[in-house]
Amino acid sequence: MAVDIPKSFEALPTSSPRHIGRGRRRVEDPALLTGRTQFVDDVELPRMLHCAILRSPFAHAKITEVDTREAESLPGVVAIVTGDDALRWSHPAQSSPEGWGTHCLATDAVRYVGEPVAAVAAVNRYVAEDAIELITVEYDPLDAVTDPVAAMAPDSTLVHAGQGTNVMMDRVFTWGEVDQAFEAADHVVSEKFRWNRMGANPTETFGCICEWDPLDLSLTIRGSIQSPSMFGLGRAATFALPSNKVNIISQPHGGSFGGKGGTRGTDVTCLLSRKADGRPVKWIEDRIEYLTAGGSQAWDRHYQASISVRQDGTVTGLRVGLIDDLGATGEAYGAICAAKPLAAFTGPYTIPVAEYDLKLVATNKVPSGPYRGMGPPPHFFVLEQLMDLAARRLGMDPAEFRRKNFIPNEAFPYTIPSGNEYDSGNYEEVLNQALALADYPALRSAQAEARQEGRLVGIGVASAIEPGVFDWNAYAIVGMPGTGVPEGATVSIDIMGFITVRVGFSLEGQGQYTLISQLVSDYFGTDPEMVRVVYLDTQSAPPSFGPGGSRLGVAITGAVLGACDRIRTKACRVVAALMQTEPENIVLHDGLFGIPGVPEAQMSVSDVAGTMLARSDLLPPDVDPRPEATHVWTAPGRTPADEEGRAKSYLTAAQAVHVVQVEIDRETGFVEIQRYCLADDCGTRLNPATVEGQTDGSVAQGIGAALLEEYSFDEDGQPQTTTFMDYLMPTVYEIPKVEKVAVVTPSPFTPLGAKGCGEGAIHTTPAAVLCAINDALAPIGQMAREVPAAPKRLWELIRAAGDTPEDGLI
Amino acid sequence: MALCSIQVNVNGTNYQSVVEPRLSLADFLRHELGLTGTHVGCEHGVCGICNVLVDGRSVRACLLLAVQVDGQSVETVEGLAEGEKLHPIQQAFMDEQGLQCGFCTPGFIMSLKELLDCNPSPSEDEIKDVLGGSICRCTGYAGILRAVQSAVAKMGGGQPSSAD
Repeated sequence: MAVDIPKSFEALPTSSPRHIGRGRRRVEDPALLTGRTQFVDDVELPRMLHCAILRSPFAHAKITEVDTREAESLPGVVAIVTGDDALRWSHPAQSSPEGWGTHCLATDAVRYVGEPVAAVAAVNRYVAEDAIELITVEYDPLDAVTDPVAAMAPDSTLVHAGQGTNVMMDRVFTWGEVDQAFEAADHVVSEKFRWNRMGANPTETFGCICEWDPLDLSLTIRGSIQSPSMFGLGRAATFALPSNKVNIISQPHGGSFGGKGGTRGTDVTCLLSRKADGRPVKWIEDRIEYLTAGGSQAWDRHYQASISVRQDGTVTGLRVGLIDDLGATGEAYGAICAAKPLAAFTGPYTIPVAEYDLKLVATNKVPSGPYRGMGPPPHFFVLEQLMDLAARRLGMDPAEFRRKNFIPNEAFPYTIPSGNEYDSGNYEEVLNQALALADYPALRSAQAEARQEGRLVGIGVASAIEPGVFDWNAYAIVGMPGTGVPEGATVSIDIMGFITVRVGFSLEGQGQYTLISQLVSDYFGTDPEMVRVVYLDTQSAPPSFGPGGSRLGVAITGAVLGACDRIRTKACRVVAALMQTEPENIVLHDGLFGIPGVPEAQMSVSDVAGTMLARSDLLPPDVDPRPEATHVWTAPGRTPADEEGRAKSYLTAAQAVHVVQVEIDRETGFVEIQRYCLADDCGTRLNPATVEGQTDGSVAQGIGAALLEEYSFDEDGQPQTTTFMDYLMPTVYEIPKVEKVAVVTPSPFTPLGAKGCGEGAIHTTPAAVLCAINDALAPIGQMAREVPAAPKRLWELIRAAGDTPEDGLI
Repeated sequence: MALCSIQVNVNGTNYQSVVEPRLSLADFLRHELGLTGTHVGCEHGVCGICNVLVDGRSVRACLLLAVQVDGQSVETVEGLAEGEKLHPIQQAFMDEQGLQCGFCTPGFIMSLKELLDCNPSPSEDEIKDVLGGSICRCTGYAGILRAVQSAVAKMGGGQPSSAD
């Protein structure tokens, strides 16, 4: 059956949408505001036990003995598991790249501080934590390798002796005649950069409740799980279970940003439940566990990158060399963060050829995982610093340099060298709007005055692409299979005309249930209050991936509108039979099915649903009597990756320009953000208020990345940032007022023209803040090459330049 | 471990409980009384997500032991709404999208309640002084700041002295 999904608001069956496209109060909020939303740690099950995990204090050591006898005798302890249980009952974790996973409990050696060694299930968490203190482990410490460059040396200590190397992947991707472009260039700008580990840190850590059914040999897992279907497949593989015997129930969760992780802790908890004869076991990761060894550490990167430029300011080539420190295993899928830049490798520019020299390296640190944006934010930090260096060398204004290299409007859809196709855009207008909002000429003249006074004031103008609607094919180069990421929804109208929408993802904060109620109420001409959205677990839901990769807003819009259209088609047949006409004569408009222009030949949606469910005598003989339909949406036109990783992958390309003014205190190296302006274009805004909320939050995370957040380790691999006193999260004091303006260029390829926008501003913010910092430092001949640009780093640069403001002025 | 008997008034209800001395106030509220609206974010006193009021003053429920509130009154987010009617601070958070995932929200709301109970017309600096004690990862604080302005106006405190 052909399904018609509206590509614009005008194509909806309504005279004018009353709900979609507007900022509405969120249906999610009353429960959240009163403390009634049930997060995983709020769930209590009969006979439930509580897990505590004993973790390695060493970054690298052999385990010679684990003695649990004393812990076993502690009253209240029900089960204890060690590496022997993991060997007996589970397989090593799946990983990317393949073959770099380990068992969930150390079996022979530990490879990072915080790696689980044993775990206890007891009557409460307090007793479980008492018990792990009674477990004794004998370690034989080994040298740890924490620097990925050193780890690549042939004589390096090996993280996994059996692998024979610490290099998980080493490949050069070449897209076009890159050597030629660099040889022919008037200028080549080349620089090294360092992006330190940082990550998601949602306010709720990971948590789960695992139940092993010893008779059915099945698993039920409740948890704060971002991608339930993928999570379930992983557990089925770990425990060699049929995939239909693993049921994942995703509770609403307190943020994710890709950093929920939790697979290893879940597997440990599953083993405990099995050992406790199937009693449910709850594990709530505490913040110190999360900061030490949780799922949030991302992007530990060493870059060497260059661009080739003609004298007229045209950028002709891009080379990026990346050594990405993935930590001890590939289990947390940090590798896909290194692959995702392929979806937007050359940013918003017409750079025709590019090369990616990618090395993924194992070290004795926590396995790295995803974080909001997945990998392009550091890539764009690098690209945008190179753009500024080139502009400075050519004596061009950085905004005009970017304008010159922007992909022009008439070039869309536009294929970039790394293979992805950008759907649409109006980059010059976004730049114009951002510059106008900031009053850029005034900023520059104020800066000139400040420089006369010797102040380090800088302005950054940066632009980046947010790939939206993720696709597995973008990650083919690190071994992820498949093309397309289906998302389904079931829409049902009941006998009274109330509408229920069933989906396979739970609440995470982006307001998608509100979006669904807006869509359905405009489609069927009802009030949003008549629409209820219900979560289904993985054994009940239609195919679903859930939130991730800036896809769910677009994907769920396609799924819901597709299901509505399927109901419409069925209902038209019923109404046509009642009105003794052909189905093609029946039209749905403003909540009424009927013959256009014939006022007496109209039926409300609820009357049609009631007829279908309660008047079988009136129905045509072969009609499906359910006013219900499921539609599974997947992005159209995607292609599998070729040998060089090229694919039509992410369906949409949102674009933004951020203009930032900073001042650096010469005495302390402290950065004050004095002005933050941005323009962005993410196509049709389905709910402008929630889009703005995503932007505000993503700018804040980008500022944290640029200035504050860093997981640091000493040379023995000991983490130095295991509390919120060491890992600095942005507070209200660090986040400036963000001035925003929207440009709307609908996507030609998506439902209602929306583009993925959930990850948003973090693609641009760190780049823009660092551009501003480097603009401030330029007069003293210095450049910040390391993120975060913490005061100590900037203070050292300022000191290195000498203390007199006049030195090195350009 | 020796147990202690405590008497605590929570949201107007008196509770008599026997607890271990090491039980945190947050765990007491959440797991002994079932008041799971108070969330736990860091358990080391930095994030402010577990903020509740004890005798009207905001405290970190993760850093206080249940036995330390013996004989005192505790207010949590569950005590704010009257039936279906949200407290003006809750309503302001809803109207201004002062929340996304909502996990940190109860802590913010309780510390703001302390502020507005004591000072109906706080200055922007006074507002930031309170908000600066808590971490939100979703909103970038923009919606929260709007919500506070709206709550101040709704609760009759007039406009904050230095908006923006």
